[in-house]
Amino acid sequence: MPGEPDSCAAGGGVPAGAALPGEAGAGSRPRLAEPLVEGTVDGVRVAVPRGATILEAARLCAIEIPTLCHHEGLPPEGSCRLCLSETRGSLAVSCMYPLRESGFAALTRSPAVLEARRYVLSLLVCRAPRAPRIRKLADEYGVSPDPRFMRDPDGCIRCGRCVRACRASGPEAIALCGRGFARLVTGPFGRPPEACVGCLACALACPTGKIAFSERDGVRRIWEREFELAPCPECGKRAFTREQLAFLGGGASALCHSCRRRLMARELGKAAALEAPGGPALLRAL
Amino acid sequence: MAGPDLSALPEILESRPADPSELLPLLTMIQGRWRHLPQEALRAVAARLSLPLARVFAVASFYRSLSFQPKGERLVQVCCGTACHLKGARAVAASLEKSLAVRMGATREDGRVTLESVNCVGACALAPVVMLDGTVHGKVSGPGAAGLRL
Repeated sequence: MPGEPDSCAAGGGVPAGAALPGEAGAGSRPRLAEPLVEGTVDGVRVAVPRGATILEAARLCAIEIPTLCHHEGLPPEGSCRLCLSETRGSLAVSCMYPLRESGFAALTRSPAVLEARRYVLSLLVCRAPRAPRIRKLADEYGVSPDPRFMRDPDGCIRCGRCVRACRASGPEAIALCGRGFARLVTGPFGRPPEACVGCLACALACPTGKIAFSERDGVRRIWEREFELAPCPECGKRAFTREQLAFLGGGASALCHSCRRRLMARELGKAAALEAPGGPALLRAL
Repeated sequence: MAGPDLSALPEILESRPADPSELLPLLTMIQGRWRHLPQEALRAVAARLSLPLARVFAVASFYRSLSFQPKGERLVQVCCGTACHLKGARAVAASLEKSLAVRMGATREDGRVTLESVNCVGACALAPVVMLDGTVHGKVSGPGAAGLRL
């Protein structure tokens, strides 16, 4: 149904209060209250709330545009340049290009788009030649690394998704530092990030799997640091680091995900039973 | 190892509003005062502006005019932009390396002089250009640069 925004067009999801003081939230996510604008993506007619991006319009049409730096819950950055599409006769970054008026006509697989995307991929594959997602894309587009740019294939494409994840849900312990070929994600002073709480947001957000971590004997290792995992008070499974719980504050509990769900289901069941006829008596009998 | 004397730091920090947009002005002032960015100063800036240390470090590591290693008391910058390059910046740079006894991009061991290349100082009509402590000197010649003693 055109114009019925699904999850991709509906106002996004950085958790409330995630933005730093004085900063806007998850960028310019379209509001449901915005009027619809109509146009086409690869000739398919679509209507989206004004301000929605080409990427969001394409997804409503079930047209796939490859992305790496884009993440639904994070502000867009447009740094990987993979989602290029063509509009008004020039290339646009689909994940950031807002559709402001009706009559748009975006092309996601025109010759110019495919040529540009191949070039971008030939650079990305130089940085992360072994990352499964990059390899799959490179195979799909018939791209091989450009030897001129095979300087430091460390597996990181510098898209900054980890940094944005850390900023949105963590203490912003890491950043893209330096410039040019020397640019890399690191903690301050090039050392293990001291503010890190070991929440794994960065590692889970990384599109190439560059950020390594391990868990053994109740200890999580990431960014050359060690974090003790607190046992779940119900089942003893270790899911969160003590630093993470302290960072979340407000007496955040170490309940693991499955116990959290189970306890919530029990509470909901109780509440439902209380409202049912004869419910309170039934609960007492139990 | 004792760090530099940072007793003048609070005054610098309080000379600007505690707003994130003051990050670069503060870093520039600290660079000017101590000729580098001491780690403790970066921490103080982060606390003053309520910014994560990682973001302060990211900005500090991006700009070439900011450094983590102390620069010399005198700063000699040779422009190697297109115009200066064509007008013989390379010969000027070679002369300066000899007369100042320091390699390009390095600080002399006595800490007196830093010699570095810059890409363009916007004074192409005066090429080749050398900046001495921020002052532009135009139409510099190789032999002329050889006479500079610092």
